Amino acid sequence: MKGFYSLLKKDIRLMAAGKFFVMSLIFLILYTLYVNFGYVRFMNMQIYSVYLYDPAGTQKTVSPLIHSVSSRKELDAALLRDTSSVGMDASTGEVKIVLYDATEQTNLHRADYALSLLRSSASRSPEIIGTNTPEQKARKEITCELLFFELTAVGFLGIAAVLFKEKGMGVIRVHAILPVQKKLFLLSKLVVFLLSDLCFAVLLTLLNTGFSDGVVLLPAVLLQTAVLSLIMALAGLLCALLLKGFRQFTLAYLVIAVFAATPVFLSANTPVKFDWINLHPFYHIYMGLKNAYFETTVSPAYYISSACAIALLFFVVQLAFHREMEKEG
Amino acid sequence: MKGLKYQLKSIYRDKFCLMTFLLPILVAVTLNFTGSIDLSPQGEFHFGILENDLSPQVLSWLKQYGSVEHFETMEELTAAINEPSTVVIGVKADGQSIRTIISGDELDIFRQAASNFPILYEQREAVRRTEIQVMKQPDVLAGFQDMFIAITLIVAMFMGCTFNAMNMISEKEDGVAFVNEILPMTPSQYIVQKIAVGFLCGCLSSVITACICYRLSWQSAGGMLALIVLSSFVAALFGLFIGRFSNGLMAGVGYIKIVMLLFIAVPIACALIDVSGPPALLCYLVPSRPALEGIMALSSGNAGTALKDVGILTIHCAAWFVLYIWISARKRRQV
Repeated sequence: MKGFYSLLKKDIRLMAAGKFFVMSLIFLILYTLYVNFGYVRFMNMQIYSVYLYDPAGTQKTVSPLIHSVSSRKELDAALLRDTSSVGMDASTGEVKIVLYDATEQTNLHRADYALSLLRSSASRSPEIIGTNTPEQKARKEITCELLFFELTAVGFLGIAAVLFKEKGMGVIRVHAILPVQKKLFLLSKLVVFLLSDLCFAVLLTLLNTGFSDGVVLLPAVLLQTAVLSLIMALAGLLCALLLKGFRQFTLAYLVIAVFAATPVFLSANTPVKFDWINLHPFYHIYMGLKNAYFETTVSPAYYISSACAIALLFFVVQLAFHREMEKEG
Repeated sequence: MKGLKYQLKSIYRDKFCLMTFLLPILVAVTLNFTGSIDLSPQGEFHFGILENDLSPQVLSWLKQYGSVEHFETMEELTAAINEPSTVVIGVKADGQSIRTIISGDELDIFRQAASNFPILYEQREAVRRTEIQVMKQPDVLAGFQDMFIAITLIVAMFMGCTFNAMNMISEKEDGVAFVNEILPMTPSQYIVQKIAVGFLCGCLSSVITACICYRLSWQSAGGMLALIVLSSFVAALFGLFIGRFSNGLMAGVGYIKIVMLLFIAVPIACALIDVSGPPALLCYLVPSRPALEGIMALSSGNAGTALKDVGILTIHCAAWFVLYIWISARKRRQV
């Protein structure tokens, strides 16, 4: 136990020396600023603007949502500025709709929507069955994305950076003759990364989804964070043990980050669905995290398979570690 | 020249590094052969209805506006409406009219449309006789496919940045940086060699990617080449900056992460949401912004914008290069 404690202390010191904690803190601040001052404001999309050119005043009941323009020229300019808007030209006595082409269904809806504004009728509010407001949804969504990105990035890269450093210093060689269990060397690293990831998740969630919302989500989010953190840390360890240098590792990693994460984000956040996405392991992990944020249940099969994956990865990492120690003599 | 040969030889040995430069090309090939990815724009409607709830007339009326999905039970419909990644508007029969159900977390456009649908249904007879004039979209980004390709190209261009930065940092870590200082090599030779490696590989990778993805006229090809050469040069320079300023692997990775995020996020954000005024000018400070704009302009045949972007990139190249030379000259004087 004493051996484990000193290993733990050594790992924390090593990470602090590599500015690991400072980097995490900087990214936490960056992300929080982005969510609170950038993202929430971007996510605002109003329904189409409607412009009416009606010099003779033929339309009597005009909804306040309609913008009046004074000439055909002004109407055309307004349409060009915002190509999803709808123009109505009533200069000939009959209303004519002018709009820029989108899809056939959207064109029809825009036209009918604009015409409906010319007739007075009480707006019928739709029945609301969800619990989130648009802002809450946007905050949860972006927090989930950032957390996923940061966990895959920091867990993976950080553990590899630490291990490469130790490899370079010859710690693995020294470890082979130390009187501590070989497993502890790996376990202490996992524990340190798990704890730092959990702290990061707590802070990110509370700062960006709001305190009262965040506290409710935390248990589920932390469980998913633990799963993701362990998998990424083990994968990082494995890569660090198998690859030659850190440079190779980061190049490979950047490629993974850009090209492997993009389809997952597309499938999970937009209506775009790829047929093969179910085969992408990160998709399931990401959806697990997302489900935690939106308080939907996760199937037990996911937990079983991630537990299996973690166990398998740990086993493989141990094998690689032993091989490395033997190679070092 | 001889030094450059050694640099290239060291890359050649490093198979892994070669693969990273090949990856954007692989992605380009995949994008080219998988055909178009259906990225239907947001703003299209998806309706969820209960089996046997709506009359055939209502159903065919709904289908004019969007796709309709049938659900067996109310629970399934509720789950589909609440699913955060899609926007499904629930529609139920309500006497002679219809009633809409939403989750409440949708963007304003969907909430407003949902409250408008019952009205549209009641007025369906009255609105049919109106003439609709549909105009062709002006200067539209031809789908997201182009954007995907352009981003791949940008990633290819900026691979040189990562490569240079990592190269310099690992030289620092291994102590090769000290050896370099006593080698019979002038500082300018060193800078040229270091830039050249990342620059050449980035260029080569981007040129191949561009050849696979675009069928350009000779004139546009010239513009594209200029864009590629200039962006790869800026990227290689950025790599040198990162390499010079980071004193450890972790810090280097952090800087690369920030630079990559900026390089990818800023141009995408600028292309998706119309930014105007001072913020738009500020975006041009990130070199990938004019690069992306130029590529998109070339693929849609807009030579004027592309020329402007080439000009901006040239200024970037000159400014960053002078800054780098100035910094290293000052450092030397201090030593």
